[in-house]
Amino acid sequence: MSPAVGYAAIVAVALVSVLIGFYGLRISRTTSDFYVASRTVRPWWNASAIGGEYLSAASFLGIAGLILLTGAGGMWFPIGYTAGYLMLLLFVAAPLRRSGAYTIPDFTEARLESVAVRRVTSVLVVVIGWLYIVPQLQGAALTVRITTGLPSWVGSVAVAALVAVVVASGGMRSITFVQAFQFWLKLAAIAVPVVALLLVTGAVEPELAPPQAFPASDGPGALDVYRTVSLMVALLLGTLGLPHVLVRFYTNPDGPAARRTTVIVLVLLSVFYAFPTLFGLLGRAFAPDLATPGDADALVLVLPDRLLPGVWGDLLTALVIGGAFAAFLSTSSGLVVSVAGVISQDLLGGSVRGFRIAAFASTAVPLVVAFATEPAGLAGSVGLVFAFTASTLCPVLLLGIWWRGLTARGAIAGMATGATLSGAAILGGALITAAAPAIRPLIEQPAAWTVPIAVLVTVLVSRADRRRMPRGTDAFLARLHLPERDRS
Amino acid sequence: MSGGAPGGDEHAPAAPPPRVRVTAPRNGGRAASDRRPAARGRRPGTDTGPTDIHSVYVRSLIRSQLRLALICAGGFVLATVVFVLAVVAPALDGAFVAGVPVSWLLLGFGVYPLAITVAALYVRAASRNEARYRSLAEEE
Repeated sequence: MSPAVGYAAIVAVALVSVLIGFYGLRISRTTSDFYVASRTVRPWWNASAIGGEYLSAASFLGIAGLILLTGAGGMWFPIGYTAGYLMLLLFVAAPLRRSGAYTIPDFTEARLESVAVRRVTSVLVVVIGWLYIVPQLQGAALTVRITTGLPSWVGSVAVAALVAVVVASGGMRSITFVQAFQFWLKLAAIAVPVVALLLVTGAVEPELAPPQAFPASDGPGALDVYRTVSLMVALLLGTLGLPHVLVRFYTNPDGPAARRTTVIVLVLLSVFYAFPTLFGLLGRAFAPDLATPGDADALVLVLPDRLLPGVWGDLLTALVIGGAFAAFLSTSSGLVVSVAGVISQDLLGGSVRGFRIAAFASTAVPLVVAFATEPAGLAGSVGLVFAFTASTLCPVLLLGIWWRGLTARGAIAGMATGATLSGAAILGGALITAAAPAIRPLIEQPAAWTVPIAVLVTVLVSRADRRRMPRGTDAFLARLHLPERDRS
Repeated sequence: MSGGAPGGDEHAPAAPPPRVRVTAPRNGGRAASDRRPAARGRRPGTDTGPTDIHSVYVRSLIRSQLRLALICAGGFVLATVVFVLAVVAPALDGAFVAGVPVSWLLLGFGVYPLAITVAALYVRAASRNEARYRSLAEEE
């Protein structure tokens, strides 16, 4: 494939994103507009924007790579990414919208009437956002290296710089438009190549015959029960606490609209994930040589050119590169919006200028981390972020919405426990598994034990602290669960 | 699934309950804070609100919504487990469609419709719970 194709696709997506970002600047003026788009976004727009924000490097490149590398076990990732929205619908969507808060720290502070809880939540939101941006930048590095031959760092720096500029200049209003656009771009960018490749595969001889390409040892029956269950706990519950996803729910006009939006998101994601899955299946039959940990994530970028050399292959390659860049840009910018929102409100007084400074700061840190760390598989890295989120923010959100007895001390104890346990498993994983190989699955997929422990600590400490239950608990819970006044 | 609400449903039309105090039933969150903007800044939740029959209705709404959410989540997990057990049945490993084993195709594409179905059922039932609360509150 020629590098010109890569350059053209990357520049086109970057230009369109920046243009839409600046167009949005004209209609985002007041602080409230800037943060949550005045809550005037319609369910379909909102759902597209959530999809655009959510479908990251892990979804666009990582899933196909993982199915190629590990087989049917990789299919659990998109299932979990999608079903997470079911959990969000069931437990969080409408109450969170009705809470009237802007961000997760706003919510926990209002619910528990404690500034200390707010601080802890803010730190977690920032850490989660940064952890999640890192694999996006690594995906960009991989894409640039594979498609243009430029050094990896160019991709990371380009995405980080674009995101900082677009977020700092447009705020969330424009981001809603950008994100909605990005979803449909990503869907087209992966669906069209898959359909085209399926059409030509009749004429091309597979590298491997079906029984070798899809051996039972990699099939659905070979699943490792503990790892799969733990991964599902992480993905299903982690979605509840993702800061860049939750902030979208404040742009729904009311609780029922928040529910409708979530159902549409489920449908959009289900349609989208059919295509990376198909890519992975195609890869197993037609590109088995890519099934190595370093190369598998590039499957989506490389396969069109392999099966369809010539102009059509170049065009399809340009399309998938554009889609991949849309994925890095949209997820990173969504994360930067929420991280910058938290930093600017808590440290810089909540002004628009503070938000801009924070936007630059919150892209710089993950960039440094992306340089400092060795890239692992994209889907796996994002899966660990979900495990961390599920162990920290998810218990507080769930108990805060559904349990009267939650107290500030309980919430802080639970978040600290979850962060310590899952953080140790993620950061110290290599050391721990080297010392005790027997507990390797427990460390590599920690959610199944860290989430229950975090919930338990939250509940026990809240129980012991019963006398400090916030005075306004009942009124706040009523506010979360009662239908809106202006709906009848 | 029908919580504490149906009890009230049966009694209310025949013999109105003796309580008299009525406090604008549908003033959920916003109205309450609008009425007392000065109370401890803009923080929601500091308004203690009425403590009589209204709060009983609220608690029963929260309980029935929680029960509904738990049933739906459990139903989805159960349906997925049953589906996967059926998928991994050895008979399916040998069957190929378009060169891909049927078991792979089912796992790759079959769970999503389950999630969407549960979501659609939940939205209808959750709105019903809210409508029931509203009619109870209005009858007061």
